[in-house]
Amino acid sequence: MIENLTDISVEQLLTEAHNMLFDDYRFITATCVDNGDETLDVIYHFDKDLEMKNFKIRVQKGAEVPSISKIYFCALLVENEMKELFGINITNIAIDYGGHMLLSDDDLESPMLRQQITIERKGDK
Amino acid sequence: MFDMISNIFKNLSSKPATRKYPFEKRETFKDSRGSVKGVDIDTCIFCGICARKCPSDAIAVDRNSKSWEIDPFKCVVCGVCAEVCPKKCLFMDEQYSASAYSKGKNKFVQQPKPAEEEPGKVSA
Amino acid sequence: MPKTIIPFGPQHPVLPEPLHLKLVMQDETIVEAIPAIGYVHRGLEKLTETKEFTQNVYIVERICGICSFMHALTYCQGIESLMGVEVPPRARFLRVIWAELHRIHSHLLWLGLLADAFGFESLFMQCWRNREKVMDIMEETCGSRVIISGNTIGGTRRDISSEMLVKISSVADEIRDDLKRVEPVFFNDYTVKHRLVGVGVLEREKAYVLGAAGPMARGSGIRQDLRMTGYAAYGELDFEPIVETDGDCYARTMVRLKEVYQSIELIKQAASIIPEGEISVPVKGFPKGEVVSRVEQPRGEVLYYMRGNGTKNLDRLRVRTPTFANIPALLQMLPGSQLADVPVLILTIDPCISCTER
Repeated sequence: MIENLTDISVEQLLTEAHNMLFDDYRFITATCVDNGDETLDVIYHFDKDLEMKNFKIRVQKGAEVPSISKIYFCALLVENEMKELFGINITNIAIDYGGHMLLSDDDLESPMLRQQITIERKGDK
Repeated sequence: MFDMISNIFKNLSSKPATRKYPFEKRETFKDSRGSVKGVDIDTCIFCGICARKCPSDAIAVDRNSKSWEIDPFKCVVCGVCAEVCPKKCLFMDEQYSASAYSKGKNKFVQQPKPAEEEPGKVSA
Repeated sequence: MPKTIIPFGPQHPVLPEPLHLKLVMQDETIVEAIPAIGYVHRGLEKLTETKEFTQNVYIVERICGICSFMHALTYCQGIESLMGVEVPPRARFLRVIWAELHRIHSHLLWLGLLADAFGFESLFMQCWRNREKVMDIMEETCGSRVIISGNTIGGTRRDISSEMLVKISSVADEIRDDLKRVEPVFFNDYTVKHRLVGVGVLEREKAYVLGAAGPMARGSGIRQDLRMTGYAAYGELDFEPIVETDGDCYARTMVRLKEVYQSIELIKQAASIIPEGEISVPVKGFPKGEVVSRVEQPRGEVLYYMRGNGTKNLDRLRVRTPTFANIPALLQMLPGSQLADVPVLILTIDPCISCTER
């Protein structure tokens, strides 16, 4: 249902981002979805004259994904967000907050993932 | 620069845009969503649709003890409960609720209907 | 010359919401700006996964107070296209009317805040006085001032009577007349121009690559307005986006001021040709599949990504709000400007931090 959705691999990502910049596309945002089976979908949305173009990559949880923020500077916020909330290891972000953009030290790690949470109360062992 | 001065003189000569609030209150608009006032507990059939539709889980309905309970501090006054009620026995108030000193819940319990006495039966 | 770091925010008189900037200064000039957000992160995206898709309407409305109707509109349009629901024409026009009312009240609020930022208190009060009329209309038509909860999946929750439509048109005229009196102050006043003209210039190419959205992009000469795609009833209305080419704070102010007039015209158009009929259709079943829905908010383009799995819960709801797109542009604008201009610069992106962090 998403217009112009293309499945690509992680290696193609930087090339496609370069192509998009060359074709005068605007980067809107990226979306990360947990599929529930140890894989994550990352969808990159681009736009030109109100027409969207989307690229989907599928990665394992905790996998390494290159950052496109050197190509599109505006990707830095969303990449930091994905890194924090989903635990994707995005490398070489222009400004890397190291996992503390939205969350503080004592927060849960990657809270948007579907994961088993065990709450330990103080005093319990 | 004189654009603003003409505005200021107009404001000086016109009546104020504000109200003297605690003494002079604006009437509420019709069907304004102020607060969920409560339930007509005798008409309520305890179906629990309001509790399931509530986006903030503010309503608790218990079929066994025939009670209907709302937490006004959780309620976001969206009005969905009043809309979906099959008996239309939930009431919204146009006036918003005042602030409170302590948290509490509004609980309504249906009193058991008095058993009708059978005619011809003489009580001792 | 040694560099100093000045923290700006999270609490600052011009900021209604907490945004923190580390400003690396050399003398009075900014060399670098590093943002720190996360003060109002509420995890609403995660919350929507645990609620039913019909309840999510009321959650997404509460992402932001100023554009709450547009958030619900984007969400509803996305779910409707997932489920193949055809919204009745009257509901589509009602949505336009409420959406444009929201745009007016958001822009008037912003104009007031801008006046407040450069210390023009009486101008600030004038703008907010006008805004109050819009708020009253919203309460009268929908039952609430800010979070009006007008949308539901499949249409709208309330109807606007024909007498009320006439009243809305006349109040819109009043607002226009009142704003006409304030307009020359923004456009011609010496002090106001001094604070806005040539401050924070963002060139067209830069704005485009940085993904600026809304009045920010249109102030830099990018002709981009999602209302051109004709969602809701915009396709049936006469509409031309407002574009300024200077790219400075003054241009962005002009765009927003002119958009208020444009919204008033759109409301009057919609009120005159609104068809009679149903306002909502019943919706059965559950959403399945993935969809992207986009709407033009007062601050720019909002993007919702939804993935349904055929149950009552959504797999994922992702919200990209306009401020999220405008912060990188702000970071590029700040270096080279003066410390005293920072409040005005931050305000001209119309920051909505609770939107940004969700």
